[in-house]
Amino acid sequence: MKILFQTLSKIGPIILLLLLGAATTVSAQNPKLELDQLDALANRASDTVDVKLDEHLIQTTSKFFSGKDPDEVEIRELLKKLKGIYVKSFSFEKENQYSPAELEPVLSQLRGNGWSKIVGVTSKREGENVDVYVMQLGDQISGLTVVCLDPKEITVVNVVGPINLDKLSELEGSFGVPDLDIARPKKKDKEN
Amino acid sequence: MKTKATLAGLMLALACSLPFPTSASGDGFNDAVKTIEQFYHVKHQSIPFLARAGMKAARTAAKVRGGDWKRLAEAGSVRMVYFEDQTFDSHGQIALFKASLQRVLGSEWSALTQTLAPKNEEQCHIFVRDAGNKFHVLVITIERHEATVVQATVTPNVLADLLKDPEGMGKSITDEATTRDP
Repeated sequence: MKILFQTLSKIGPIILLLLLGAATTVSAQNPKLELDQLDALANRASDTVDVKLDEHLIQTTSKFFSGKDPDEVEIRELLKKLKGIYVKSFSFEKENQYSPAELEPVLSQLRGNGWSKIVGVTSKREGENVDVYVMQLGDQISGLTVVCLDPKEITVVNVVGPINLDKLSELEGSFGVPDLDIARPKKKDKEN
Repeated sequence: MKTKATLAGLMLALACSLPFPTSASGDGFNDAVKTIEQFYHVKHQSIPFLARAGMKAARTAAKVRGGDWKRLAEAGSVRMVYFEDQTFDSHGQIALFKASLQRVLGSEWSALTQTLAPKNEEQCHIFVRDAGNKFHVLVITIERHEATVVQATVTPNVLADLLKDPEGMGKSITDEATTRDP
């Protein structure tokens, strides 16, 4: 038993460091964000919407979209490639009922870690700030995240898979993706 | 001996700290009902089908069906309990209830949509799990004085239709479960 403890005490920290390193590497390039850390806001929000469509659900159901309606065909083709749609939205009755620090667990995941911010994206809604982030693997987009911040509302949309802003607009109003009212940058971005 | 006791103590502490839901029965429907009862200190009612069939939803059914009547749930697949004339007050901890549900339903069920409006104590939670080539859908709807838990089996094409409007999905399934067939 003594030998076991001695061995464990020697190699334990090394194993722990290796595991932590592996976990960091995995999360560093993961286009699926950890959004549940925002859930505490739900106690103060007047309305909360949390939508999670994972790859299995999307792939199983996408083939049932009609092949007759051109819009549905387009959506079906888009959905076929997606691995997840995750939406969290919090509305508040009054302004400043949340602090920027409460968003930090999500925003910190978008700093580096393979994400880059698209410059020039703005919101069509007065007083709302929109930031759009993409993650690219080679020349392919592997994830897109939209963060909309309003004094009375927070919306985070995280789509895993090859999608750009134009294609995201096709999903607005369905699959839990709200109408985002995003004004595209004038210069054509190079994604997809 | 001392080392063995220390090791056993450490293992016990580790086991106790693991966040698995000890009360989960593996039946998501019953687990959800039990979670509501424990969190809100309420008791569900067993209402005979014929009694509940005429209950409330006739006025909303036409609206959600939006035209031709279409069956969502597979025949005979609906399970339902109802909480009536009771008080659902989360005391500002609605997020805790949401987390409790997620914990107790575990990895077998996937949370699809969860909407919360704490001021009016309104919530709708929709969970989905595989059922062979179909899906089980679990819909938990809570308002200030009533709640329903509905489980139904749906085909993938019905689920595809419902996914277009995940927020309306819970209402459609609950309304179907509480409405008399035409």
